[in-house]
Amino acid sequence: MGNKRVLVITNSVYQLFTAVHMKRALLKSCDVDLIVTDVTPQLKETIPRLVETGLFTRVIFGEVQALNRKFAAVKEEGFSEGFRNRDRLLRWVLNEKPAEYEEIYFANFDPFLRMLAGLYYDSPCECIWYEDGFSSYVIDYLREDRALINRHPEGIKIREKVKSVLLYEPRLAMRGDCLPNLALPKVRREDKELKNLLNHIFAYEPLENRGDFADFIFLEQSFRAEGLKTNDMELMEECRKVVGSGRFIVKPHPRNPENLPFLLGLTRRYPSSVPWELFLMNEEVENKAVITVCSNAALAGRLIFGMDMDTVMLYRLFRGKVLWKEDGILKRYLEKFHRQFAGEKYYVPQTVYELRSTLRYLMGQML
Amino acid sequence: MKDTVKVSVIIPVYQVENYLERAVESVLAQTLEEKEIILVDDGSEDASPKICDRYAQQYPGLIHVIHKPNEGLGLARNTGLEVARGEYVAFLDSDDTVEPEMYAEMYAKALKEDDDIVMCDVRIIYVEENRSSVVASYPRQEIDLGDYIANGNNITYSVNKLYKRSLWEKNRYEKMLFEDIALIPALVTRTPSIGYVKKAFYNYYRRANTLSTSFTGGMVDIVRAFRSFLETSDPRYREEVVYCISKQLYWNMTQSRVLFQADFIGFLQEYKRYFLLNSYLEKDAKTRKILDYLDRDVIPERFICPHFGRPVPQVYLEKLKKDFPQAELILVDETTIPAEDLPDTVLKAMREGETAYAEEYAALRILCQKGGIVLKPEYQVSLNLKKLRLNRIFFGFEDDEELTTGCYGALKEHYVIQSLLDTYQADSIFNKAFLPLKDRLRDFLLLHFQLKVNGRKQLLKKEIQIYLPDVLAYDMKDGENCCKRADIPVPEGFEAVSGKVLKMWSDRVLENWNLYKQALNGNPPAKTSVQTGGTFSSGFSEQEVERRIQEVVEAYESSTSWRITRPLRALGRLLKK
Repeated sequence: MGNKRVLVITNSVYQLFTAVHMKRALLKSCDVDLIVTDVTPQLKETIPRLVETGLFTRVIFGEVQALNRKFAAVKEEGFSEGFRNRDRLLRWVLNEKPAEYEEIYFANFDPFLRMLAGLYYDSPCECIWYEDGFSSYVIDYLREDRALINRHPEGIKIREKVKSVLLYEPRLAMRGDCLPNLALPKVRREDKELKNLLNHIFAYEPLENRGDFADFIFLEQSFRAEGLKTNDMELMEECRKVVGSGRFIVKPHPRNPENLPFLLGLTRRYPSSVPWELFLMNEEVENKAVITVCSNAALAGRLIFGMDMDTVMLYRLFRGKVLWKEDGILKRYLEKFHRQFAGEKYYVPQTVYELRSTLRYLMGQML
Repeated sequence: MKDTVKVSVIIPVYQVENYLERAVESVLAQTLEEKEIILVDDGSEDASPKICDRYAQQYPGLIHVIHKPNEGLGLARNTGLEVARGEYVAFLDSDDTVEPEMYAEMYAKALKEDDDIVMCDVRIIYVEENRSSVVASYPRQEIDLGDYIANGNNITYSVNKLYKRSLWEKNRYEKMLFEDIALIPALVTRTPSIGYVKKAFYNYYRRANTLSTSFTGGMVDIVRAFRSFLETSDPRYREEVVYCISKQLYWNMTQSRVLFQADFIGFLQEYKRYFLLNSYLEKDAKTRKILDYLDRDVIPERFICPHFGRPVPQVYLEKLKKDFPQAELILVDETTIPAEDLPDTVLKAMREGETAYAEEYAALRILCQKGGIVLKPEYQVSLNLKKLRLNRIFFGFEDDEELTTGCYGALKEHYVIQSLLDTYQADSIFNKAFLPLKDRLRDFLLLHFQLKVNGRKQLLKKEIQIYLPDVLAYDMKDGENCCKRADIPVPEGFEAVSGKVLKMWSDRVLENWNLYKQALNGNPPAKTSVQTGGTFSSGFSEQEVERRIQEVVEAYESSTSWRITRPLRALGRLLKK
């Protein structure tokens, strides 16, 4: 009897990072096909290096972005037509034909995944949802009233196929969808083999001048990319004023159209383009503080590596339109994270005065 | 001197060089021959002692002088009583006068009816207003004691009465202000035979700046006096006594001594049962209003002084003693709360030398346990602070952005103070960084009570009173100050005010001034015909503008700001059109 055949789908750096980790930690003895999609365009560059590692049986490229966008705009009839043409569409977007699998690992409930679920609906293949940050803990993506596609008989077939969810911190899950939450092993920062593997895949180049990195790193979020008007620039300015320009830097979000904090003079140019998770894995960040409204990246250190890093969450001071329909649940999640998991180096200032005091305190601690 | 002294007139003398002779002459002019005058010089430092001695020399045997150190009116009268030989005694205040027939007629009345006390009416002379009025003690000649206590007048006065000297064998004045109220009315209730001459024999000169019209901390004695009146009266007249006190309380609380309202409320609550069950009050709708105060919470007159690692300045204690003589003072130091009762954060703070943090916690803790007012040694109170006891909890701004924790107060076990104490157990930046209480407090009020951080007065959720910086931090000489920083030495006549507060104050004055100018331009008054000086383009003379500036300055001091009244003025203009 041969090895178990498994498919892993990745849409982002975070997911690819986790996919590599899963292959080594959970799916060691499995034959794993990996789909790398163009949802994050830069991922395509990693394919040759992924192949070089020999970690995966096949590395398949999926140009699914256009498909996903198209389905985001259609009504019921559009879904029906799309699902009728499922096999042709899948042939069109994947550069290799998928095989028969016992398990499919995915992170996003996008139309592409729903097509695959239809494809394997009648086979014994099980789908396993793996963590993609906050949303995997908070959002019941398949709730009927959440999206039109969930009310389509083909679109909702995925519900029967999903058997469990893999999370770095299963106890924090609060989606309310009754799916069992299973533990995804933590990544060990000391695991040199994994580090080398990931550095190779992402072509990581160590920072030449570490001095370019400030003590306080503000992780920008994609509010502008989503068209949301918020006070995030004001919050950056407030932080910069307290800690001083020399110790402050903003890491721009790759999906925002331009580096506005830099253009506004709120920060120096961020000196690196490497994925945050890789940065955390490679660099000595214990003495740095991360500031963000509620970026998942800020929690990545804790979720993935179990690191205890000074983290200042500004969501209590955030003003703007809600991020998602599940905004209330997100807030509850963040609070739960704060109370049950965050540790002593996690700060959630409730007023701008408390923010100032917190930053001053952290500056004192860094001396 | 006559061998038999029918009436001894005791005149306590203290700093009354301008009035003393008038008083003495009025007694010398009495038609009653057999009298003696006892002048008790209570340590005067003006010409009064010499005037006394001159009289004693001039009228040996008739006028006696006793010089003694200053101890107050009551003890001066007691001194006079010690040497009085008259069958009857009377008291005269050295700035008042008596009519010539007073003692003769009252003595005759006493003899005729074998009265222990005889009283008369009082003429009140309002000196500055050049008018007088007679206050009749009772509507009829015959005294019905119960009715007199309940409905009569002048019951608390010592001076409109003639007393059988034997009454004083067991009675003396206490050393206090309002010694009359403490003693005389209760004495009246215990005296069955009281006569009354229905004539205004006693002239009481009332001036604007006398004891009865200006305030000092010692005036809280009035509560003690009421208590003594109530406690030492004949219990058979308790109904009437309580009603009599109720009327006086009502007048004091609502008109004459509003500053002491919190003290009066404390008294009312102490004897709640008497007031609630009083049958006279049931029929008197006006006076019954004092019962509304019964349920009002009052912050205890207790000062909590945290002084970790430093002494309490003498001036702090002296000022407190002067303005709040009856207040309890709790000195809080490192040993006040046992270490085993302290939260870990506070213990850590003490270990690490973060004294201020631990001190603020201790003060807050005692405040929660007992209620009162926290007053740091670097601050100095004024009598006005009494008013703030009528809050349930109060704080004040230090400037437009920060609150002061030099002075704040709360009721016992107030939930806000309890909640603030709870925050010392939390894993928060306030505890990690040992932040000062003012930061914790401001953020707490911001989050839970929507405090507006603007340095302005505000009442949060009808519970927490927040004052401007001029109330609890700096004396801006606007009459509002209750407490101020006293740790910055400044010469006499100067005040220390932070630059931020000064700017805030100037901005507000300018803001109001601009509003005033706008209002003026929108509704200009008629031009004056007299233009002796230069004229502004608006057509007003310089004098007119000056006059208006003065008016607006006065308006700021005595009325609501222009900003608040602006809509009303706009409405007024609209209605005129």
